[in-house]
Formats: sequence, structure tokens, C-alpha cells
Amino acid sequence: MLTVNIINGLVYGALLAIVASGLALIYGLRRVVNFAHGSLYMLGAYIGYTAAAYTNFWAALVIASVAMFLIGALLDRYGLRLLQNYDPLSIILVTFGLLLIVEDLVQTFWGKGNLSLAEPVLLSHSISFMGVTLPAYRLAVVLVGVLVAIGLTLWLQRTRMGLFVRASSTDPTTTAMQGVNTDRLSAFVVGLGTALAGFAGVVTAPFLSLSPTMGSNVLIDSFMVVVIGGLGSLPGAFLAALVLGQVQTLGAVYLPDVSALLPFILMIAILIWRPAGIAGNRT
Amino acid sequence: MNAWTRSSRLLPMTAGGIVLILLASQLVGSATTLSVLTQAAIFGIFACGVGVLLKQNGMVSFGHAAFFGLSAYFVAVCLQDTGLSAELIIFLSLAATAVFAFILALVIVRVPGIAFAMLTLAFGQLFYQLALKSRNLTGGADGISIDWPDTLFGVPVATLLDNHVIFAISGVILVLVLAVLVCVHRSRFGSTTEAIRDNPERAAFIGISPTLPRALIFTLSAVITAIAGILASFNSGFISPDSLHWSVSGTVLMMVVVGGYWSVTGPALGAVVYVVAKDLIGDLSTHWLSLFGLMLIVIVVFTDNGLSGALRALASRHAGANPNPQARRS
Repeated sequence: MLTVNIINGLVYGALLAIVASGLALIYGLRRVVNFAHGSLYMLGAYIGYTAAAYTNFWAALVIASVAMFLIGALLDRYGLRLLQNYDPLSIILVTFGLLLIVEDLVQTFWGKGNLSLAEPVLLSHSISFMGVTLPAYRLAVVLVGVLVAIGLTLWLQRTRMGLFVRASSTDPTTTAMQGVNTDRLSAFVVGLGTALAGFAGVVTAPFLSLSPTMGSNVLIDSFMVVVIGGLGSLPGAFLAALVLGQVQTLGAVYLPDVSALLPFILMIAILIWRPAGIAGNRT
Repeated sequence: MNAWTRSSRLLPMTAGGIVLILLASQLVGSATTLSVLTQAAIFGIFACGVGVLLKQNGMVSFGHAAFFGLSAYFVAVCLQDTGLSAELIIFLSLAATAVFAFILALVIVRVPGIAFAMLTLAFGQLFYQLALKSRNLTGGADGISIDWPDTLFGVPVATLLDNHVIFAISGVILVLVLAVLVCVHRSRFGSTTEAIRDNPERAAFIGISPTLPRALIFTLSAVITAIAGILASFNSGFISPDSLHWSVSGTVLMMVVVGGYWSVTGPALGAVVYVVAKDLIGDLSTHWLSLFGLMLIVIVVFTDNGLSGALRALASRHAGANPNPQARRS
């Protein structure tokens, strides 16, 4: 039983890691806390739902990710870039306005009811693992989370573009002076962050139903992940997502009375201990 | 105009505001209009609470719905389970909010900038979850109705709940809250908090410790919000976890920004515009969420200080004076 719960915690942790890494990337480069991130996750899930109705799950995963990448790049080009000289509060409020618009659009096109997306046939069986039977799809989600974490880390640490991203999130002006096109770079990074949100939305759809409120919970949990991990830090976000996933699921099983409070207590304790988060060194 | 003549205008302005509210409460006949205006006044008070935190401390809260809802829950639960008088319970609720907010503030005002906004969001949702889960005490998702006694402060509750009277009460409280905020803004304490807001390090260098003034402003902001919460629960006779949801905090923050938080009256103006516009547009279109999202973006991007900034700029352009003397000072 414990194994099942731990694996369920890993599944949720993997989802949070994917969503929160998008949030952390965008914050790292643009210093923007994107309140619309949860609603973009939801939009990705709904786009995937419609795409899957015409094609199949795998194509839907690609279509939703590409569509969300384009939306993110446009958001950066015609939103965040124009707003970079505004104070952080104004930008937060602009993303909050965007959240309202996206939620309204989703309700208009897809309605207020719950929708569900079938898991792909390839993964609809169960697997025996360490003496317990688990749905293959859930194990695949954990694997995808690990791959995203490894992929993003390698990209940031080993590629030339990753180097530019790290440089630009430390000091965009100096990086631009060295000849890096930081505008194009941040359009790519915001696109990537948004694509990750949409990707996570489609991945979630088979085991959590689609509803216009699905973005809100994920937004708050992934905020907690990036705050606990340290704003803008990817390794911190991965670690925090792992911990929060376990706290959420194990708490719900073993301490049902206080489970809703545990993540908040964890976050408050960590912030009192380290106000900038586990891996945070900048504000 | 020097500070002395400005401050001497506070008393007549307050009296004028109260007279205006009382006149309006008698002259407006339609029950629906009155109930919209009452809502506007209550949210005006709420917005003043969120606005003062933003104006004096430069802090954005996405969690003030917690104070709005908890104060009402406190009243509801005490009326149900204790034999105390309703007047005392209202006072206790505000006092408890103040103590709680002060202790909370001592911890969270240390967290800088954006992380503060996210922390308040998490705190707000914590109490939303608590209210949702503690079914015995709060009735869970269904909420509970509040057993107000037959008389409050010596007046029959039925009289207080009359459309005209409840609007007059809410409106007058709003005017009084605004007067208090003007006093805070003009006081030495107000200047101290603004110095901390603009540059905490420099303030610390000249001997101002930032935590306590920030925590006091946070407490004031929570108590004002609690007043709005109790009024709202009195007006509706009902409280549910919905009042604690973070979207309520977000909506009020939107009112504050739309109205313009650099002026004391801005947040209240924003609340009135929001509530009235929602009532008018809500009849015409189901897409008012999008419309407000769009309006929020346009106002944040294109005005210096929301509607009150835009109005001031317009007025001074007509007078040929310097445009927008209270423009954003960042």
C-alpha cells in the first residue's frame, strides 16, 4: 500500500515538476511571476482534448505543446517584452487579467462541465512492480517527469543556448552586450515554459478530469513549488516538486484531517528557515 | 497649497461625504439599485483594506479574502455556540483579526516582493481549505447562515437590514474608513512606512526598523477588510467558503488597481466602478470576465494610476496645470 502511495506521490510530483519548471524558466529570464500559468496549463489540456478527438493521444500531445509554444512566444513578444520596464506588480496584474480572459475563453469554447480524455491504448494496461499492480500510464508519467528534468538540466548546462539562458537570467544587459539576442532568447524560453504547461495539461487529462477550475489548484501548488525551491531555480523546483508530491499524497492517506494544511505548513516552515527558498539566492 | 489648509479640509470633506451618502440613501428608490450600491460600498471598504497595504507598504496581497471570510465565520460561530452579545462578538472578531494579522505579519512581511504575493496566496488558500474541511464548525461547502439577534446596538435588526438603512450604514463606514486612511497617510507614521516602502535599506540606515511599521499597516489593512467581511455577512446573513477563495482576493486587487492605489480614494472608486459595471454588463453579456481582464490590462498598461489617475490628468489638462501631480513614484 505504501508503495502505491509513494508512486502516486511521484506521479503528482512529476506533474508539478513539469508545470513549475515552466514557471521557474519564465521567472528566471523575465522576472515575471506568471499568474496565467495555471490557465495556460488548462488551455493546453483542452486543446489536447479537441486534438485527440480528431487524431489520437500522441498527436494531441504534440499539437497542444506546439500550439502552447506559439502562444507563449507571442505572449512574450507582444506582452512581456513591451512590459519589461513596468514594475513587477503591474506585470503580475497583467498576467492576472490574462488568466481571466483565458478562463472565459475556455468556458466559452468547451463549456463549464467536466470532460475526460482516454489514456492511450499503448499504456492502458497494468504493470506489476515491486509486488503491487500499477497502471502503466502512471509509471509513464513519472518517467516523463524524470526525462523533462534531465532534458532541461542538460539543455541548460551543456548547450550553447542553455549557457545564454543562464547568462541572461543572471544579467540580461551584459548578455545582450556580448551579442546574444536576448529578445529572441526570452521569446523561446517563455514559449518553452508555456509549452511545458500545456504538455503537463495533456498528460494530466487522462487521470484528472478537465474542468475550467483545473488551472487554479495547479497554479497554487506550482507557486508553492517555486517558492519552496527558490524563485527561478530549476533544481530547487524539481526537489520541491518531489517533496510536495509526497506530502500531498501521503498526507491525504495517513493524515486526512490535516492533509490540506500540510503543504502550507511545509512552505511556511521552509520560508522561515530560508526566506529565499531551498536553492534561492536572489530575490 | 500647504499641508495645513489641506488637512483642515478633512473634517468638512468627511462630513460632506456622510451627508451625501445619507441623502443618496433617501433619494434612491429602487431596491435593486440600493442593493448594488450597498455591495459597492462593502467592496469599497474591502478595497480600502487591500489598497492601504499596497499604498503604504508596496505589498500585494492575494490572500485578504481570508480576513474577509474569517471575521464573518468568527461572528457566525460565536453567535451559534456562545452566549455573548452580538455587539461584543463583533468587537471580539475585529480584535481577534487584529491580533492574528499582527502575529502573521511579523513573519510574512520579511519575505520580499513577489514572494510575499505568493505567500499570501498560499495563506489565503490554507484558510479556504480549512473552512471547506471543518464541516462541524463551518458547515463545509454549503456554508452557514448567521443567527443575528433581534436587536443590534439597540436597533431592531429588521430596521438595520432595510435597503435604505444598510446602504447608509455601509456608505458611512466607507467614508469613515477613508478619513482614517487620509489621517494615516498624512501622519508621521504614514511617511515612515512610505520611506520603508521606497527603500527599506536606506530607511534602516536612518534608524527605522522596517518590520514593525510594515506589520502595523498589514494589521490595519486586515482589520478594515474584516469590517467589510462582517458587514457583508450581516447584509447577506450567510457565509460560505466561497468568500475565502483566492479569486475574491484577486477580484478586489483588480478593483484597487483599476481605481488607482496611489490616491486614498482610488480603491473605493475602483470597487464602485467594478460592482456597478458588473451589474450593468452582467445583464448584457456572459463574457464580463474577459471584459474585466481586458480592462485590467488596458488600465495597468496605459494609465499612471488607474481611473483616479486618468481623471486627475483629465482635470488638470482642462485647468491647464501640470498633469497628474500624483503620478506613480517608482
